[in-house]
Parts: sequence; structure tokens; C-alpha cells
Amino acid sequence: MRTVTVLALLATALIVSAVAGILVGSVAMTPSEVFAALFGSNDVSGTIIRELRLPRVLGAALVGGALAAGGALLQGLLRNPLADPFVTGTSAGATLAAVAAIALGATAPIVPLAAFAGALVAVSIVWRLARLGGSTTVLTVLLAGVVLTSFVGAVVTFILVSSDRLALRLRAVLGWLQGGVSVISWEELAVAAVIVAAGLILALILAHRLDAYAFGEETAATLGVDLDRTTTAVLGATALLSGAAVALAGLVGFVGLVIPHALRFGIGATHRRLIPASFLAGAAALVLADLGARVVLSPAEVPVGAITGLVGAPFFLALLVRSRRVIV
Amino acid sequence: MRPQTRLVAFLAVFLLTLASCGGAVSVSPAPSVATSPFPTTLTDFQNRSVSVPARPERLVSIGPSITAFLFALGAGPRVVGVDDFSDEPAEAATRDHVGGIKVNFEKVVALKPDLVFTVKFSDGTIEKLQSASLNVLVVDPQSVSDVAKTATLLGKAVGADGEGLARSIQQRVDAVKAKIAGATTRPRVYHEIDASDPSKIFTVGPGSYINDLIDIAGGANIAARASSAYPQLSAEEILRSDPEIIVLAASPYSAKPSDVAARQGWSVIAAVKNNRILAIEPNLINRPGPRVGEAAEAYAKLVHPELFR
Repeated sequence: MRTVTVLALLATALIVSAVAGILVGSVAMTPSEVFAALFGSNDVSGTIIRELRLPRVLGAALVGGALAAGGALLQGLLRNPLADPFVTGTSAGATLAAVAAIALGATAPIVPLAAFAGALVAVSIVWRLARLGGSTTVLTVLLAGVVLTSFVGAVVTFILVSSDRLALRLRAVLGWLQGGVSVISWEELAVAAVIVAAGLILALILAHRLDAYAFGEETAATLGVDLDRTTTAVLGATALLSGAAVALAGLVGFVGLVIPHALRFGIGATHRRLIPASFLAGAAALVLADLGARVVLSPAEVPVGAITGLVGAPFFLALLVRSRRVIV
Repeated sequence: MRPQTRLVAFLAVFLLTLASCGGAVSVSPAPSVATSPFPTTLTDFQNRSVSVPARPERLVSIGPSITAFLFALGAGPRVVGVDDFSDEPAEAATRDHVGGIKVNFEKVVALKPDLVFTVKFSDGTIEKLQSASLNVLVVDPQSVSDVAKTATLLGKAVGADGEGLARSIQQRVDAVKAKIAGATTRPRVYHEIDASDPSKIFTVGPGSYINDLIDIAGGANIAARASSAYPQLSAEEILRSDPEIIVLAASPYSAKPSDVAARQGWSVIAAVKNNRILAIEPNLINRPGPRVGEAAEAYAKLVHPELFR
């Protein structure tokens, strides 16, 4: 299939899921009411659709897309299908920085930037660890991810208990650790969109060089790739993408792992098509997962991280079993 | 240390509120003995039969509203232990503390009470107190009508004029009801308990004490037809029901009126447009205690200020 066809199909899937996401909510509305509300009508229905549902669906799309693109980058860099911002602890680093920023009184533009900084620190730590050993690299990365994630959980608990300010958002922060796209403001969405766009553009510029990594770093170097600069740039792009995702939705697992990996089977590992395809597919997947989160136990709402975990964890285990057979 | 303690207290009070979703159990006290009230047998809020052989001299109260009743009945001097949240009247907080969400059993036993009053617990606390050979009376008012019954029951348990207190409470509530009878409107009220997770906002539904207060105050609770006493609403549902008044039990940890007005999309709500996001003292309205008349009046003043000018 040609790249254009693949991307067009995925874009259609995204649009269809987004329409479904906007049509379904806790207040029942007919499709015609929803579309009237979307384009005009200044009444309550209009506000529900335009101010609550639309930003939530767009937020879910942005988060899913960013995580999947980030996963594609990390998998390419580490030459390993088991990497994504969640399992490597990158999202956890972003979470810690974001919670700390909120505890210190920061709001919309600062929180995603702090999350980016936290993601950058975490991804650098994981990268250093990954380069320590030979055959144990994968396990080192995964263990580092586990350790970082539980460490962050502990520190966040301490910050929560010691901060007066966070009590106001207590359940929100706790829900955040489980991954959830709840009410997202346009301001948050705009800031995150800019960061994701920057990460995505950087990723596309690096796509060609990442392809060379598939043959090993030495080969990449002989192909004329500046390893240090490329690695730094890839880590930076990953941090931008996962930082923005975490700032909007907290710790959402497995989207970044499953989507690029599945796509690699379908459309091959060429990063110039894998990265945009991952973005579109991840966006559609998380919009659907969020829809599921709202519907399965309705009227109660499940954190979207529970949905992605339910689907993603078995997939991850299957991958782990397969890869261990190869490595050990 | 201090903010930490306060956070824990906040959580505890919040959980206590949620823990009391069991619904109202009617009290059917034994017929009163005219002259000498003791010995007596009482039926408590869990339909348990409790014998009180003689006037109890050492009381332990686990539940802030019970403590308030005991002091209102003049039994304050006999109260030797209270839970960590009992601060009404201020004197109550000076008694020995026996824990909050988790009761400190050793401390209760060490106080040698001859009667222990407690709210309902679903974690075996009551059974544990009984197995320590303590005489336990479960008192857990969940509605405005429960409050008068509580006064009567507690009066019998401690040998005080509970019926007199019940009457004066009822008179004050009736006075509010009489005033509200003159109201020509019934504004839609949204009462916020906790919105720290904006997609799952806790409010009060049928069977809750605050729902009763809203009713007496002449308001129409937007969650009056919800399926539980403490339902969770989405922001969509709150926007759709368009409350004319938003009431916040203003603690240091709850949202302020300006926070509520600034929420995404909430500017279309009538209460936000007309600037009717109002704060009320949480202890006054969260506790089904002897101040119920005062609570009903305070709530009525928020819903129908025109009747109190």
C-alpha cells in the first residue's frame, strides 16, 4: 500500500472515532442535536458539546497520537519493540514534574513544560542505562521503567499529602496516576498541541536517520549519521511528545507500545510513514478507549488508563515472551 | 506536619460522609417509663436491643453529631471520650480522643465507659467494641426527621429530657418550613460535595440529610431523582440541569465560588450568570445534630433571601 493510502485510511478511522466520541456522552442527545450544537446554537447543548465533549475528544486524540509517535521513536532508537513512554518510565518522569509544578501553584503553560522537562530527564536516565550492558539491555530498560514508575508513585504520594493546594485536586491527581482524559480546557489543549506539533515535526525530520539505526549504530555511523546529535534529538522529540501527553491525561499505558508495534507488521518499519501512521492510529485508538471508558460502566466512568491497560497488558506480555525467547 | 494532619482530617471527614450512605433506619424506642427512667431497654439505629441498667456516668461518643447532642442534653460533664472530629461545642474537643476513621479500641476500653455511642461502621468496629464487653448504642441520623428521634433516644439513654430537646428542634424546623411556605418559586439547587475529579462530581441525592435540608429550604435539588444518596454527576449533567443556585460547603479544601465560575463551560449555568454561587459552613450542614433548625434556616436564607429581609 502506498503511504498516502495508509495515512488516508488511518485519518478516516480517526475522524470516525472522533464523531463517535462526540455523539456519546452522559447527557443523551440525538445526532442532529449534536451537529446543531457543534455549529452554532448558543444554548446549554452547544456548551456541552463545544466546551466539554469536543476538547475532551481532541485531547484524547492528541494524547494517543503523541504517545504512539513517541513509542515509534523509542522503539526505533532502542531497536526494540518493548519500548514506549509508559514502560520506560518517561511518562512517570513527566508525571512527577507535573505534579510538583501543580503543588507549587503552576497552571496551564507551565505544567506541560514541566512535564516535558521531567520526561527529558527520565528518558535520558533510561538511555544511559540501556547503553550499560550488552545482552541485558532490554531487561535493563524495562527494569529502569518499573523502578522509575514506582519511585514516582511514592514521591507523588508524599507531595500529595504535604500539599494544601493539591487537596483541591486530590481525586483528579489520583485519577491522573491511572490515566484519564476528563475535562480539558482549550488553553491546556492549545499549549499541548503546540508541544506535540514541535515533537512531531522533529520526529519527521529524524525519521530518515532512525531508519539507519535499524542496522545497528556502527552501520548508522558509517552511513553518515551523527549518532550523538541524532540520539539527543530523538530523546528530545520523545520527551516533547510524552510530556504533552502526560500533562493532558496523566499515565496512560500501552498505547505507545501496541500501536507502532502493530503498524510495523502492517506497513513496515520505514519511520517516515511509521511515525505519522502511529500518530493517526494512536489518536483513533485513544479516542475509542476514552469512549469505552465512558460507556462500559455508565453512568460511572472508568479511567481511560484502565481500558488501555486491559487491552495493552496482554499484548505486552505476549511480546515479552516472544522477545525473551530471542534474547535469553 | 500540620497540613498533613489537616489533609488526613479532610479525607477522613469526606470518607465519613461517604460511609454514611446506608440509608435511614427508623428508631422505635421502647415505651418510656414515667418516673424512674432506669433500668431501661432501648432499640438503636441498627434495631439492636440495648439495656441500660442505671444512669450511665462515663460516656464515650464516636460521631460528632452524637457529641453535640450529648452536650445539648446537658450530659457534657459525663462525656469522657470523643472521636477526633468532635469539636462542637468547643469544650467537647478537650475530652480524650479515641480515634476517627479507625477507632482506637484500647483507648476506649481504658476510659472505662458504661455506655458507648457510635455511628454505623461496616468494618466490624461495633462488634469489636461489644466483644470488649462494652455497652454500645448505635446512633446514626440520616435525615431531618431522624434528628428529633435521635434527641429522644439519647435523652432516654442518658436520663435527660430528650423529648423537650426534640420538640424545640422540631419547632425551629417548623418555623423555617412556615416561612418557606410563602415562597412563590422553587429554585434549582446544586450542592457540591467534592469536584476534585471534574468528570465525577459528588453531590447529594435522595436519602441524604442535605437533600432534606434543600427540600425544607424551598429548593429543588437537581439530583433529587438520583439513584443513590451521594451520586456522582458529570459536568455535562450539571450544565444540562442548569442550577439557579450553587451551594459550596466552604472548607479550606473545597472549591471557591471563583473556581466554580471559571470551570470550562460553566459560564452558561444560571447560577454562574447571576452570581449565585454561595458558601455555607460545612460543620453546620454536614452534621445531623441539634443545630438542624439553624442549618435549615441558613440554607433557606441562601435559597430564598427575599423571605428573610
